[in-house]
Amino acid sequence: MTPTLSQILFITNTLSFATIIFMHLAKKNSQLVSLYAGQSILTVALLYFSSPDGLPYYLALTLLITLIVKVLAAPYFFMKFIKKSQMKFASNVYLNTPLTLMAIAALIVIAFSQFKPLTAAAPGNENSLLLSIAIIFISFLLIINRKGALSQIFGVLSLENGIVSFAALAGLEETFSLRIGIIFDISVWIIIATIFVSMIHKQFGSLDVTTMKHLKD
Amino acid sequence: MFIILIISAPLITALLSLLIRSRFLVFEILTILSAAIELASAILIVPRVISNGSYSIGSYFSIDALGAILMLIISVIGLAASLYSIGYIRREVAKQIIGFHRVKQYYIFLNFFILAMFSAVFTTSPIIMWIGIEATTLSTAFLISFYNKPSATEAAWKYLIVNSVGLLLGFLGIMLFQTAAIGTPGISNWHFILANASSLNPFIAKIAFIFILIGYGTKVGLAPMHTWLPDAHSKAPVPISSLLSGVLLNVAFLAILRFKAVTDAAVGQAFSQNLLIFFGIISISLAAFIIFAQKNYKRLLAYSSIEHMGIISLGFGFGGIGVFAGLLHMIYHSLAKSILFLASGSIFLKYSSTKIINAKGVLSVLPISGIIFLIGFLAITGVPPFGTFLTEFYILSAGMIQHPVITIVALLALIVAFVGFLKNTHSMIFGEAPETISKGEANKWVVVPPLCLVAILLVLSFYLPQFVKLLINSAALIY
Repeated sequence: MTPTLSQILFITNTLSFATIIFMHLAKKNSQLVSLYAGQSILTVALLYFSSPDGLPYYLALTLLITLIVKVLAAPYFFMKFIKKSQMKFASNVYLNTPLTLMAIAALIVIAFSQFKPLTAAAPGNENSLLLSIAIIFISFLLIINRKGALSQIFGVLSLENGIVSFAALAGLEETFSLRIGIIFDISVWIIIATIFVSMIHKQFGSLDVTTMKHLKD
Repeated sequence: MFIILIISAPLITALLSLLIRSRFLVFEILTILSAAIELASAILIVPRVISNGSYSIGSYFSIDALGAILMLIISVIGLAASLYSIGYIRREVAKQIIGFHRVKQYYIFLNFFILAMFSAVFTTSPIIMWIGIEATTLSTAFLISFYNKPSATEAAWKYLIVNSVGLLLGFLGIMLFQTAAIGTPGISNWHFILANASSLNPFIAKIAFIFILIGYGTKVGLAPMHTWLPDAHSKAPVPISSLLSGVLLNVAFLAILRFKAVTDAAVGQAFSQNLLIFFGIISISLAAFIIFAQKNYKRLLAYSSIEHMGIISLGFGFGGIGVFAGLLHMIYHSLAKSILFLASGSIFLKYSSTKIINAKGVLSVLPISGIIFLIGFLAITGVPPFGTFLTEFYILSAGMIQHPVITIVALLALIVAFVGFLKNTHSMIFGEAPETISKGEANKWVVVPPLCLVAILLVLSFYLPQFVKLLINSAALIY
C-alpha cells in the first residue's frame, strides 16, 4: 500500500470517526440521520479505496447497493418517520455532554492503548484500524447512553459501519455473495427496526425507552 | 439432496403461505408437511454422517456430528412446535385474540425461523452462520411482539437491540478470526480457518474469542448478557418460546463451540475453558436465585434456560467427561424445556394468566398437561431417573478435581434452583383451583406433541441409542 493511499484511508476514517462524535452531540433526530448518511458515504469510500484490485464489477455493484441502502433508502425512511411522527428532538441521555465527552476520550485511550496488537493484520493501516475500533466502542456508548429508540438504531448502524471499515482496512475480503448477504441482512434489520420504532411510538406515545416499564421480575 | 430438502421445505412453505388469502387449514397443512419432511430428511442424514464423518453438498453445506445432533433437535422440536401451533393458534382465534392476518404472519415467520436455524447449522461459512443466526433474530422479533401489546413490543425491542449489538460484536470476532485467511479471498470456511489457526496471532485469537463469546453468548443467554431472554421467552406465543428456549440457544452455542475449536488450536484449551467456566457459573448462580423468587411461570422457565446454558457452558469449560455430558445435556434440556413450555401453553390457555399465583390446581383442572408439567419439572431439575441427573453429575464430577470451589458453588446454585422450582411448581400443580376455571384440556393438538416429547425424553433417559452415542462421542473429540 502506498503512503498516499494509506493517508487517504486515514483521512476518510477520521471523518467517519468525527461523525460518531457529532452523533453524540446531536440534539435533533434529523441531524442523526444526516450524520449516519455521511458516515455511510465515508464507509463506502473506504471500501473503494481499500480495494487492492481497483474496482471490479462485483465490488462496484456491492458499493452501489450499499450506497442505495445506507445512504439513500435508510435515511429516507427515517426522515419520513420523523416528519410523520413529529419526533424532531432526540431523547435524553444518561450522561450529560461533558461526561459523555470524557467517556468518549476514555474509550479512545482504551482503543489506542489496549488494542494495538490487533493491527498486526495490516501494519500499514495501524492508526486507521485503531480509529475503527474507537468508532465501534463509541457507537456502543451511543446505544447505551441514549434513551431514544431512534438513537439506539443509529448506534447499532454506526457500530456496523465501524466493523465494515475495520474489515476493509484489515484487508479482509469476502465473496460477492457474502457481501450481498450481509447487506441484505442489514437492509432487513433497518426495515424491522423502523417498524418497531413506529410501534413503540404508537403504543407508548414516545420514543423514550425509559417509558417502557412493563417487564419486571 | 436431503440438505436441500430440509432447507427448501420451510422456505417454500413460508413463500406459499404469503399467497394464502383465506384458509387457516392450508397454513397448518403446509407447516406440518414441511416439519415432517425436515424430520424425515434429518433421520436419513444421520447414518450418512456416522459412516462418513460428515454429510456435505458442494462446498457450502456440510453436517458433522455436532451439526447432526443440532439438526435432530431442530427437526424434532420443530415438528412438535408445529403440531402444537395448530391447537394453540386455533384456540387464540376462537377467543378472538388474533385474526387471519396474525395467523398468516405467525406461520410465515415460524417457517423462516426454522429455515434460519437449519441454515446456521448446515453452513460451512462462519459468516453465513452469522447471517443465519441474525436472521433468527429478525424472524422472531415479530413473533415476540405477536400479541401487539406494549409489554410484548417492549420485549421484542429489547430482544432486537440487545441481540443485534451482541451479534455485531460476534461479527467483529469473526472478522478478527478471518485474519488467518487474509489474502485468500472468498475462503472463509471452518476447515480453512481451523487449518490456519496456528498461524493466528495469539492476542488476536484471544480478543476474537472474547468478542465471539460475548456476541453469541448474548444469543445463548449467558449472564450477564441474558437481559433480553426472560422478557422475550415469556412474551412469545408458547410454541415459539419452546423453539427459542429448546433449540435456538443451542444453535447459538454451536457457533461458540466452532470458534472454541479454532481458539484452542491457536492458544490452547485453557483460555476458552476458563471463559466458559466464568460465564457458566455466573449464569447458573444468577438464574438460581431469580428462579427461587420468581412469580411468573413463563419467566421461571426462561430463567431455567439461562441456568441450563450455564451448566452446558460449565461442561465444556471443565472438559473431559464434561464435554460428553454437556452435549448430552443439550439434548435433554431441549426436550425437557420444550415439554415445559408446551405444557405451560395449555395452562395459559386455561387460566389466561402467566402468574403463578393465578394458576393453581393445574393437576385437577388439566390432568394430562399437569402431569406433563410435573414430568418436565422433574427432568429439568435433574431428578433421577431422568438423564439430566446423570449429565449434571458428570459435569460436576469433571470439575471437582481441578475447580472444586466452582463445582461446589454450582452444586449449591443447582440446589437453590431445585428448591425454587419445587416451591413454584408445587403451588401451581397441587394448589386449589379457582372455581371459575372449567376442567379439561383445550384440545388434542396441545396434548399429543408434549406427550410425544415426554416419551422421547423417557426413552433417552433409560436407553441411549447407538447412533446418539456415536454422534456425541465423535463431536466430543473435537470440542
